[in-house]
Amino acid sequence: MGFRNRRCEAVALAAALVLAGGCSRVEQTKKLEIVLVVKALDSEFWQRLKSGAEAAARADPGVKFAVLAPEREINIDQQVAILEDQVLKKVSALAVAPAGVAEVVPVLEKAKAAGIPVVIVDTDVPWPSRVSFVGIDNRLGGRLAGEYVLRAIGGQGKVAVIRGVMGVATQDDRLAGFREVIAQAPGVQYVAAQPANSERALGMSVMENLLTLHRDLRAVFATNDQMALGAMEAIAARNLTGKIVLVGFDATREAVRAVQAGRMSAVMAQYAEAIGRRAIEEAIKAARAQPVEKRVDIGTALVTKENAGEFLR
Amino acid sequence: MKTADRGFWARGVSEALRRFGPLAALLLMGLALSLLSEHFLTFDNLLNVFRQSAVNTLLALGQLLVIITAGIDLSVGSILGLCCVLAALLVKAGAPPGLAIAAALAAGAGLGTINGLLFTKLRLPHPFIPTLGMMNVARGLALVITGGFPVSELGGGFRYWGAGAVAGIPAPVIVVVCFCVLFHVFLTRTTLGRDIYAIGGNRQAALLSGIPVDRRLALVYGLSGFMSAAGAVVLAGRMNSGFPLAGVGAELDSIAAVIIGGASFFGGSGTVLGTLVGALIMGVLRNGLNLLNVSAYWQTVVIGVVIVAAVWVDVLRQRATEKSRAARR
Repeated sequence: MGFRNRRCEAVALAAALVLAGGCSRVEQTKKLEIVLVVKALDSEFWQRLKSGAEAAARADPGVKFAVLAPEREINIDQQVAILEDQVLKKVSALAVAPAGVAEVVPVLEKAKAAGIPVVIVDTDVPWPSRVSFVGIDNRLGGRLAGEYVLRAIGGQGKVAVIRGVMGVATQDDRLAGFREVIAQAPGVQYVAAQPANSERALGMSVMENLLTLHRDLRAVFATNDQMALGAMEAIAARNLTGKIVLVGFDATREAVRAVQAGRMSAVMAQYAEAIGRRAIEEAIKAARAQPVEKRVDIGTALVTKENAGEFLR
Repeated sequence: MKTADRGFWARGVSEALRRFGPLAALLLMGLALSLLSEHFLTFDNLLNVFRQSAVNTLLALGQLLVIITAGIDLSVGSILGLCCVLAALLVKAGAPPGLAIAAALAAGAGLGTINGLLFTKLRLPHPFIPTLGMMNVARGLALVITGGFPVSELGGGFRYWGAGAVAGIPAPVIVVVCFCVLFHVFLTRTTLGRDIYAIGGNRQAALLSGIPVDRRLALVYGLSGFMSAAGAVVLAGRMNSGFPLAGVGAELDSIAAVIIGGASFFGGSGTVLGTLVGALIMGVLRNGLNLLNVSAYWQTVVIGVVIVAAVWVDVLRQRATEKSRAARR
């Protein structure tokens, strides 16, 4: 499967480069064509979600599968173009992790009009026609992170958040859950929620600024691991490792190893492979017009130094 | 006699390459993709390509004017982002769609004109500087006035230019065709258009021949800002949202379209048809590779190669022309 994809890529590339060339048409088969479109493939979270999805597709010999994504999570218009082209191909089912919650709805409507069932993955959208949502309860994840932070700082001191792009449900929910808990602790001062677009380099520079502004900062919650890993470098550069509580979200292997090494305090687990696998299983069911679970909650958990080993297996 | 003959033919081939090279490349690419994917050469998909290329084409038309004057406008993507959220906020505040669109277009033209004035009045050394500044200012303002949040659910009337259609033809395609015709007439049939080529060909000579260079430059950058706003109206309508990060990196795509379309970075040359073809080459590549399930990363690689290849062909062509001229002497 992977080999054929790669060969097809190479063929397409060669053809585009010489601006000519003949190639036999892709052979017509009666296989189901399932396509997963995610926000980006530039982090371990998406790569693991992709491999889970691929495993689910491989398990079903009647399925032809592809994963596509824009270059960066902020390229919403590129994701919309990718989706339009898949709708035009009349694929059997789509699984979509929307880069923009409102922005993808028009193209999802087109998919619906073309009779293509859509499973929403990771980031829920206010679009009632989705056949299923597969992901986690991000609000709960935010609350668990908040409770951990309160315990770790003894309910006293300044707390900041580094968040992803505004208006994206996953990010908003994690932040809202976190704030709900933090607001109940009178000794905690919530100083800022700075956006860093879920990118590592931005996470680092935002953290540097926070450390400059708030020398007595006690804890930071980064709403994804990429930003947390960036923030971790900024904290380490000031020799503050272990003195500032740092919590990430996703439990990528790199972040879990950092937790194990004591460079990061904790991380909220997202079972990325399971999300990808279940999303494609539901998409296949939808494509075969079988009953589909309307909402699949994969669950989340707190990863600390004590249980980090389990997440590295 | 023999050498003159050869020169004649070389010039003919060179001229044909200049005029029709990009178009031929586009057609060849279309041929290759229609062999590779049965979905490519369908009416619906070609409309898709046009629709997906619409915003880049609008930005590229503005960029074309700037590049003809030997300038560059790095702020088009950010002005697009700012105009997107301005229009969206106005619609959300209850303004009629026409007013929101007019305000966005006015803001775009205004910001573009500021670019031109900064360049000419402050005598900044190169348009790179004021437009780089504007790129940051406009993006920052878009983020500031929205707090970073997208402004979505804009309603039917406003969405017309991005999502509507006339007799099955998407409104963005109609907008692009209208602007292409307008810009073509403007550049080739008006004194102002000829002034713009003259400024790019030789600014000093243009000045000496009485062309008000500074005023023309302000107009050129103003028009580029206006086209960014036109792109914003189409994009916000299409996505049903004004998002402050809209158009990040779009300035480079618009420059690429103009360059692939055969305009010279040194100014004085470039056509609307070439620019349209340049934007379509990029759109066709992205669309075709999407249809073939090729990752966005490879698309970027291919577009990079096409930019360099397009300019290299042009360099070869110019060298051949010079050789044939030398031979004639």
